[in-house]
Amino acid sequence: MATRREFMRTAALGAGALTLAPQLSKAAPVGGKPPMRFIFIHKGNGLFPSVMVPPSLSKDEAATEAKKGPLDLDLAKHELPAWMKPLAAHHGDLTILQGVSGKMCTTGHHTWCSSLGVYKANERISSIKWATVDFELAKMFPSPMEHVEFACFPLGGGNARGTLNGIATGFSARGPQQPNYAFGSPKLAAQELFKAVSTDANVRTRSQLDREALEFAARREREKVRSYADSLEAVRERDRKVDAMADSIRRHAPKLDAKYLAEEMTTVDRQRGHVEVLLAALVSGLTNVVAFTVDELGHEYTGLPGMETERVNLHDVGHGKPVGKLTADEVRFAVRRQHMTLLDTIAARLKKAPEGEGSVFDNTMIFYFPDNGETHHSHGAEYPFVLLSGKNAKLNLRGRYIRLPNYGEAGHATLGNLYTTLLNAHGNPIKHFGDPDPGLARFGHDQFGPIRRFLG
Amino acid sequence: MRSGWGAIAVIGFVVGPAARGAEMPPNVQAVLAKYCAECHGEKPRGGARLDGLAALGPNERLDLLNKVQDQLFFGMMPPPKDDQPTASEAKALADWVRAELRSHKASKLDDRLPYPDAGNYVDHTALFNGTNQEKAFTRGRRWLVSPQIFDERVLDVFQLEGRERDGMRRSGFHGVTNPFVLPDHAGVRYYDLTALDGGHLLVMLTNAEWIATKQLQAARIKAGDPNAGVADPKDKWYPKTTPAPFETIVAKTGPPTDAELADAVQLQFSLVLRRRATDAELVQYLALTRAAIKAAGNAEGLRQMLKSALLESEFVYRLEFGEGKPDEFGRVTLGPREAAYAIAYALGDRGPDAAILKAAADGKLVTKADYEREVRRLLADENWFRGPVDKGLSGMHIASHVVSHPRMVRFFREFFGYPGATKVFKDIPRSGGFYRNPDRGHLGTPGWLIQEADEFVIWQMAKDTAVFENLLTAEDYFVYHNMDTKAGKAQIAQWKDVYETLKKTEWKSKPEEVMEAHQKMLVAAKILDPRTKELWREKRSFLYYMYWFQDTFGQGRTPFTRGPFTHGYTYEHSPSYNLPPTPHRGRYEGVETPRYKEPKVFPAFWDYPVEQPFRVANRKGILTHPAWLVAFSANTASDPIRRGRWIREKLLAGVVPDVPITVDAKVPDDPHRTLRERVNAATRSAACVKCHSRMNDLGYPLEQFDDFGRFRTLEALEHPDNLIKAGNGKDTADVYKTKPLDPTGVLSGTGDAMLDGPVKDSFDLIDRLAKSDRVRQSIIRHAFRFFLGRNERPSDSRSLMDADRAYVTSGGSFKAVVVSLLTSDSFIYRKTVEN
Repeated sequence: MATRREFMRTAALGAGALTLAPQLSKAAPVGGKPPMRFIFIHKGNGLFPSVMVPPSLSKDEAATEAKKGPLDLDLAKHELPAWMKPLAAHHGDLTILQGVSGKMCTTGHHTWCSSLGVYKANERISSIKWATVDFELAKMFPSPMEHVEFACFPLGGGNARGTLNGIATGFSARGPQQPNYAFGSPKLAAQELFKAVSTDANVRTRSQLDREALEFAARREREKVRSYADSLEAVRERDRKVDAMADSIRRHAPKLDAKYLAEEMTTVDRQRGHVEVLLAALVSGLTNVVAFTVDELGHEYTGLPGMETERVNLHDVGHGKPVGKLTADEVRFAVRRQHMTLLDTIAARLKKAPEGEGSVFDNTMIFYFPDNGETHHSHGAEYPFVLLSGKNAKLNLRGRYIRLPNYGEAGHATLGNLYTTLLNAHGNPIKHFGDPDPGLARFGHDQFGPIRRFLG
Repeated sequence: MRSGWGAIAVIGFVVGPAARGAEMPPNVQAVLAKYCAECHGEKPRGGARLDGLAALGPNERLDLLNKVQDQLFFGMMPPPKDDQPTASEAKALADWVRAELRSHKASKLDDRLPYPDAGNYVDHTALFNGTNQEKAFTRGRRWLVSPQIFDERVLDVFQLEGRERDGMRRSGFHGVTNPFVLPDHAGVRYYDLTALDGGHLLVMLTNAEWIATKQLQAARIKAGDPNAGVADPKDKWYPKTTPAPFETIVAKTGPPTDAELADAVQLQFSLVLRRRATDAELVQYLALTRAAIKAAGNAEGLRQMLKSALLESEFVYRLEFGEGKPDEFGRVTLGPREAAYAIAYALGDRGPDAAILKAAADGKLVTKADYEREVRRLLADENWFRGPVDKGLSGMHIASHVVSHPRMVRFFREFFGYPGATKVFKDIPRSGGFYRNPDRGHLGTPGWLIQEADEFVIWQMAKDTAVFENLLTAEDYFVYHNMDTKAGKAQIAQWKDVYETLKKTEWKSKPEEVMEAHQKMLVAAKILDPRTKELWREKRSFLYYMYWFQDTFGQGRTPFTRGPFTHGYTYEHSPSYNLPPTPHRGRYEGVETPRYKEPKVFPAFWDYPVEQPFRVANRKGILTHPAWLVAFSANTASDPIRRGRWIREKLLAGVVPDVPITVDAKVPDDPHRTLRERVNAATRSAACVKCHSRMNDLGYPLEQFDDFGRFRTLEALEHPDNLIKAGNGKDTADVYKTKPLDPTGVLSGTGDAMLDGPVKDSFDLIDRLAKSDRVRQSIIRHAFRFFLGRNERPSDSRSLMDADRAYVTSGGSFKAVVVSLLTSDSFIYRKTVEN
């Protein structure tokens, strides 16, 4: 970027090209091929790049890693870090991706939808500049629910929701100044998503009555508040689509264990319950894109292995405070490991769900990453990713440990580049997704566009 | 210099198919050539080239014109040191650019105008110099209710009153989520800018579900219906009685008659929409209900009707379109019913009371005098709007103050923005251990600070004299004010009596004997619990108090009217005001055991002032209140830029452009420089100073207060290189080298020549601001926005001047301002205008 003007112009184009996306939203999957699924799982409190490193690096490789130099290693030849051991069965689908920066995001304690939207989001709805990448993907792979979001809501801190078990603003965004809403409890999620096919006749009657109430309301609002009438119509349209796939939905409706239906549950159980519902939603075809806030700094963590009776305050852990006999690092390890068991469950279950010649997992990409970068008070220098991709995934990443060139070097990539790659690979030709990082401009490399080497 | 301009000027600005007479007139071209060409021609400064407009594609051209419009509007170009165009030259250029953009519906400035952030875009002088004689009005509008109004409407559906209403208002309903979130920043926030959308719908659906269920629960239980309630066993509450028209239908075994159904529909309409259903609506609703009853029985069918009424958009809207014949200026007045709602919702959240509704029905809410009568009556009514200032503040330890007009207090809360203090996470050790971050169920230290700032505001509003000046300059505050003066004095007297009586006894070595001998006095003072059978069980309480009295009375100081060892005690924030701490409960841990070691050191605990408010040193008004200072600070440092910006926008009616996206807003570290010096260095370049000159110099004086709100003369240079002694990571802060603070600042570009000039320190700054007309008028403008729910326009000039005069002639009464605003043309008249 030679001049600031070119920079601004391209930046404007970058945001402008986004408006092409709606044209693609009507695009059905090509030629009856199954749609791609995307699962975005993000955590609070940062993720240290150092813990992502396989312990089996050679001396040279370790030296390069220490200097944050570029690496591209075959994971098959390496041992996984201890906390990733639950993913052992998926070693060949795994990618550990390091070196992606995200300084254009809000970082720190709370980041709202920054890491998925690639802009500085804050508690004000006005800060939501455009839809987050998961919604953009959802537009390309339409489904009745379009997108489902789950969360372990924060009840404290600077970003509290009022409820653990209800529906509240989530961490993805549907469009400019349009936050998304997430399910806080697995029970509510299951109820809402699967009510049309409930085995309970009362629930089904109620569901039918609901349909009629919506129709009534839509008719009455047509002459009054257009946007409201449109939303009502959108819900009705969705209901019609759900009806059309009633069989599939019925077959895959989640059967939740009693502990996932309780009013009080540990964080760990909540996460597992959410996993059950999100799997059912994906496999039944209700949605193709799921976002899951697996923890957030203001959420008090309960049920962690080794600390079952503790209410872990992740903010304190982020500041190095121990919990019981465990050091802060050990707590972080336990939290991560627990997350990996969730990813294992998801991948294993998707692998068991047949689709086409293979399984649903073949057409899936699972992203696990921190919503605020490389540490608790991060600056967005690095967003480490754990990816699980099926064999039909369009990005050329499986089975590798990749560290991209460091900040300022040629070939360095930001979150914007990563998501652009994702969108380009699946049919959205956007030039660049997300805000630029002004700090990169001075190095003279082009920071816009996809990461070419990942595009097949 | 004028190199390429001549040629381009001849070609003009033919843009192609989109052009609608888009030629730049010669006078406008001349302005560009004279003032802009030098820097924005061949080698364009800031990358903005203004001589090739014609050659640009349509999007790029509009983009550039928007940039030009912004630069002109915010007064950033030409730079202050260069030649400035005359007023008419500037206007010619600005008007042409704006017209161009508007003709393509692409004016970003215009898009921003309705938003609260852009309220100051209207020129201040023009609003208050009396030149504008236009007739004021508000656009007819359908306005989404505020979160608070929504809560009241739900309470109305259940017909809750009195204590039950207060209780449910405080706790909220288990199954009702408020669909509305006001934008989260300092300043007026409740405008008619959003419409119901998909996100709201989801919430409205779940709400309607729950409310409809609860409305029928009592009757269904009576009828032995197993599906009467909700699935959640924790969700126990339901209204004790179901209204008769609903109960009739639920209890009936066969289908209900038309008359019974009509009664039910009319009742629900009155509860939810506060009106009768029209004949057409009745027909629709009857059909709906009948079909549902056929499918699912009386109860479920009725619930369907209840739910549908709750899904009406009207439930969450306020309608203000005006009625009757337009006057000679095309304006109509609010209809009487609309007026009743408009007045009630301006003053509170509860909606109109019976009296104003009757006045409306009787045709007595038509003239300005009518409006004034009702406004004054409702302002004097102590009970209709009574409620807590902010129920979000109430939790485990704090109960938000209950006042007669919480919405009025809310104006100042939003204006000053101090409730934002809860959003800033702090590092506890940095505070020396006293600070508590908000946590589950309580709001910690900022919660208390906000509560105390509220009390300060409430006090000044109650006196209703020189309200603005006092809010800015009063030096008497409320800290740890848990009892009124009379009760507090009585408490202290009683305790002192106990101490004086017992101090010479052997209370330390023989506590039980002393307790027995003086049991009556100790029980009266609530030091001993009379219900306890065995006296020895009360030893701990007795000793707690006595050691505490020794620390306070014994040192000639008055204790706080609550012991630190009492259950739920969380008062630890006096250091925010630089006041000495009160004893910590840990000091008395184990008093009743033999291993208790009496403390040998007697720190100078706070000599608590029972009579409040009281003078606090080095403080002046809200801007030096710790709540405000914390709200406008960062996690680990103060924030002179945001503090300065607040002053510029809220007190000086100024405008500061948004941070450009290319700015990476970080203050560099430097072990040798104070925050002020580092901020200065980072914002000094030509590109930055354009905006920062409007903010920094106003925020620097407030550097006299750190990011916990504490007054200081030295700044700790918090850099690892400067560490003198590390803290213990819990309750002692790290000790750093310090540097003296420079509290000077500058008032410039205020538009008030009397106000501009160098500033000695924050107290000087505040004094001068408080005395200025401009500041007073700026606050009036914000009050206008709050009570009318929109930005002011040039045509509102008369209304604003009237409100200003009302304030001044009444000796600074805020109530007078409110009466003036709610009887102004701006409030009373409506006009349906296309945008």
